[in-house]
Amino acid sequence: MQLVAGADADAFEVILERHADAAFSLAYRMCGRRSLAEDVAQEGFLALWRSAGRYDRARGSVRTWTLGIVHNRAIDALRRTSVHDRRRANDDVQEQELEAPERTDVQAMSNAASEEIRIALGELPTEQRHVIELAYFGGFTHTEIASMLDTPIGTVKGRMRLGLEKLRGHLGGWQAVGA
Amino acid sequence: MSSRDESVGCERSVDAAPYVLGALADAERYREHLADCASCRSQVAELQLVADTLPASVPLIRAPEALRQRVLATVRSEAELLRAAGSRTEEPPARAGRRRSLRVSLLGGGLAIAATAAAAVAITIGLRSTTHERVRTAHIAASIQGAQASLRQTGSRAELVVSGMPQPPLGEIYEVWLARSSAPPQPTDALFGVTSSGSGSVNIPGNLHGVQEVMVTREPLGGTSRPTNPPLLRVAL
Repeated sequence: MQLVAGADADAFEVILERHADAAFSLAYRMCGRRSLAEDVAQEGFLALWRSAGRYDRARGSVRTWTLGIVHNRAIDALRRTSVHDRRRANDDVQEQELEAPERTDVQAMSNAASEEIRIALGELPTEQRHVIELAYFGGFTHTEIASMLDTPIGTVKGRMRLGLEKLRGHLGGWQAVGA
Repeated sequence: MSSRDESVGCERSVDAAPYVLGALADAERYREHLADCASCRSQVAELQLVADTLPASVPLIRAPEALRQRVLATVRSEAELLRAAGSRTEEPPARAGRRRSLRVSLLGGGLAIAATAAAAVAITIGLRSTTHERVRTAHIAASIQGAQASLRQTGSRAELVVSGMPQPPLGEIYEVWLARSSAPPQPTDALFGVTSSGSGSVNIPGNLHGVQEVMVTREPLGGTSRPTNPPLLRVAL
């Protein structure tokens, strides 16, 4: 990253190659449309290139930082659309489970840690997993989620917290993929 | 000002989970609170580690090759300009100022080729430079690949300069929006078209204080109060 901060395009290409698939996958999961996911991922990588000097190794891996940027960009993009459209896109992605032609591009993540996270998420009580997914992947605010689910705000926040704490218990000391 | 003790609970700790998930509606205020509350900082740090694992639960899809190529083309172009800017910073300031005046004059004449070249010079001068004019390049949507845009800010004045933009369809025009925090983008009265060669410029009205992004969308003639199309270009401030 030091080289990237020094405007070394070759060094950036290595980072792009290493993290492009994960970044695009996250953007697609959140946005539900390939064209918007491409825009989000593109903006994310260009932001990374232009702000590489701000990367702090002590605060996480390059992959975590990259995906954090892409996540924020996707939230920005999602919040420019109506709650209704966002909910539909979120539901569509979950229902499709990446049907053809995307499925041909899908690779099962061989990383055991990723499988572990999927299992841990799946084992959460439905209401806790639901609020976490709506928040993190759907880009909904806690007040929007409370309204959508007709649930008190405090309950929504509590479910988020309980869900994350259970995930932490499942995952033990495991940290971000590619760290 | 003393930092709140980590061992003492804080009533705002309930906001830690929605915050790390990116879902806290008033995230900015909580961020300010974190500066003064060790208890919340500690909880955010712990929960953030968990939130950071969530992307790994997503099925992996191969990123389109065109996306990689677009990103790399922009990066290589900017790296080249930065190298050029590095050599130009040794020039006397007066000469650099004369070059900017020339650029403005050429743009005023509406010469598309000159505008494109000038935009490159503007980026050269502005990126990571120390001149009074600050230039930021725009993120371009995949749908108008090949277009370029930059925002030039001098004091309180800002101008958006574009090149290679397609003509808006009949009955439509480009509209500039200002986005602050997570609030919906605010419309401006900056509406513009482009020349047959795709170049154009428009002054950004109002104060950019607190603005996080300047965006452009395609809208019906006369503009709208809410975006009806996705942004074609965005400049992060």
